[in-house]
Amino acid sequence: MALLEVEDLRVAFGPATAVDGVSFAVDEGKVVGLVGESGCGKSVTSLAIMGLLPKRSRGNGRLAPDTEARAVTVEPAGGAEAAESSPAVPSAPAPRTAIGGEGRRRGRGADVDGRAVFDGVDLLSLPSAAMRRRRGRDLAMVFQDPLSSLNPVVPIGRQITEVLERHRGLKGDKAVKEASHLLDRVGIPDPARRLREYPHQLSGGMRQRVLIAIAVACAPRLLIADEPTTALDVTIQAQILELLRDLVESEGTALLMITHDLGVVAGLCDEVNVLYSGRVVESAPVRELFARPTHPYTIGLLGSIPRLDLPMDEPLRPIRGSIQDVIRWRDGCAFAPRCDRVTEKCVAGEPALVGAVHAHRCVMAEEVA
Amino acid sequence: MSTEPEAPGGAASRPPLQRADEPAVPAKAPLLEVEDLEVHFPIRRGILVERTVGHVRAVDGVSLSVQPGGTFGLVGESGCGKTTFGRAVLRLEEPTAGRVRLGGDEVTALRGERLRRFRSKMQMVFQDPLGSLNPRHNVDMLLAEPLKVHGVGSREERRKLAVETLDAVGLPKSVLERYPHEFSGGQRQRLGIARALMLRPDLIVCDEPVSALDVSIQAQVMNLLDELQDEFGLTYLVIAHDLAVVRHLSDRVGVMYLGKLVEEADSSQIYERPRHPYTKALLSAVPQPDPEVEATRERIILKGDLPSPANPPSGCRFRTRCPWAEDICAEVEPEWREAATGHRVACHFDL
Repeated sequence: MALLEVEDLRVAFGPATAVDGVSFAVDEGKVVGLVGESGCGKSVTSLAIMGLLPKRSRGNGRLAPDTEARAVTVEPAGGAEAAESSPAVPSAPAPRTAIGGEGRRRGRGADVDGRAVFDGVDLLSLPSAAMRRRRGRDLAMVFQDPLSSLNPVVPIGRQITEVLERHRGLKGDKAVKEASHLLDRVGIPDPARRLREYPHQLSGGMRQRVLIAIAVACAPRLLIADEPTTALDVTIQAQILELLRDLVESEGTALLMITHDLGVVAGLCDEVNVLYSGRVVESAPVRELFARPTHPYTIGLLGSIPRLDLPMDEPLRPIRGSIQDVIRWRDGCAFAPRCDRVTEKCVAGEPALVGAVHAHRCVMAEEVA
Repeated sequence: MSTEPEAPGGAASRPPLQRADEPAVPAKAPLLEVEDLEVHFPIRRGILVERTVGHVRAVDGVSLSVQPGGTFGLVGESGCGKTTFGRAVLRLEEPTAGRVRLGGDEVTALRGERLRRFRSKMQMVFQDPLGSLNPRHNVDMLLAEPLKVHGVGSREERRKLAVETLDAVGLPKSVLERYPHEFSGGQRQRLGIARALMLRPDLIVCDEPVSALDVSIQAQVMNLLDELQDEFGLTYLVIAHDLAVVRHLSDRVGVMYLGKLVEEADSSQIYERPRHPYTKALLSAVPQPDPEVEATRERIILKGDLPSPANPPSGCRFRTRCPWAEDICAEVEPEWREAATGHRVACHFDL
């Protein structure tokens, strides 16, 4: 049994589907990559697992526990149903007084459906309080932009001890000592002084290290890193990747790595899931994926990257069009409008994910393979 | 792109594209020549009486030249001064010292109206296409504006040129009535490029032209820049932090660290045999999309962060992070020497 098993995760914001049935598993001590370009649903997947999306309802139509309590029903009868029945018009006039659940039904919040089983417990059906107890302790997250993830008016020491107090019950000097140890662990020199500093006094790389220190403060079993090095310079990126590699190896933390950078994936991940338009289009162990990329999107991504290890005159083979050229999965392959190998079969219906170890979602690849 | 090169000064005068594997023979005069360019920003303190307490040496004596039709790639990490350098070349930033010559004219000596007119020869493509396009102007207005400013053509001629340019960057004529927010990131960057092309400049400074774009779109835009260079006989100064992007676009590459060039060579040489420790570290830091390569790749992990450009380290500026630094590095600033033909480096050692 995997540490985290995501099954058929679906997230929709009103009429817009961000994640459209994503399943994958993260084993203990493994690094699993979610790869894709902007808008593919990789970040939303991670936020859903962490329970950080503004919820409004579950798949069975019941309101989420935290919104249920605040639901203010001052709408005229039938108003909600009317809006529900025409989801394509998100701007249907909403009574301004409805600030709770009913108001959220309109355009705010996400519909999260599916399961994310962590250590035998479905995180998606946990009540908010129970999720809060786990978040930061059993599973933690590192975001792309460390400056906006840290509180600008609180010294970083306090931001670390806060986690230690809440989840490990450490207080006072003990907490400060542990925080200093954590900063040292993530490679920040002179930690005692840094604890008193504010986020703006640190460089981008240092801030990212602080975030990682906070994330690993309670030795979580799963760390989710959402583009942790994208905002950093390449030499600093190398430092942070080295740190993550080291954490995984020494602590046995499982890492869910969300990135657009196939180079980062190649160097860090054990398993890879390639996402396109809210679905996994290919998944495989890392060497297998790079040795035998099968889905045309994966092949296209690999052909788009200028590489230092290939001859200079190697031409780039970009994917044509943009992510806006898309069809709905239920009508066919969402990648079909941009695919070079598109045939009528591709738009004749929903393509299934086939294969076990190396799975892909392409009807043409079946015939090729 | 299928369009015929109709640009004034286009295909006819276009020099043969210099490929990187040929030795750089400076037989023809360079189009762009920069000599000892410096841009220092004063640091001011005080409320009533401002006094200057120091300078941020953003660009601190950079010289380079670019052959007509060539591409010079300037790489470095954030804060190294590469963007300031690009802006100073175009006189968008006032250089503190040094000279910039474009096609024999001294850009740094131009003032007022003459400078304004001269700007039609040099254009810029910015990183963030949305931020560089006026949201209230439709494409027609955006593309016609540079022409109006420089008093080029009638309304009909301007529109004709706009349509031609759109075609060259791979956008249909029908986009003329649309506004920037209606486009995807890649299309917006195409617009940004089209706008820079409208005056058919000699030099285009591309500041991080693809770093805001998705991988698949990056490749489209890089291929487009390649095609346009051939079609319009353009000379590029490409400023980027991504070594692979610079390698793909450039035939000559300069590596900048804390306001100075630390190494400059033909693209093939610098990537095959980097001579400066910083270049080596940069190259070794780029993760390659191949697990086999990644498993065996030697990584040079640099310690620490970039020092402050207001107070750079003595001697060699890179010594505080350099794994090979010795005593001499702190005392003597390494000279800018030619380590091999056409390969210059600022390091005391032959690594």
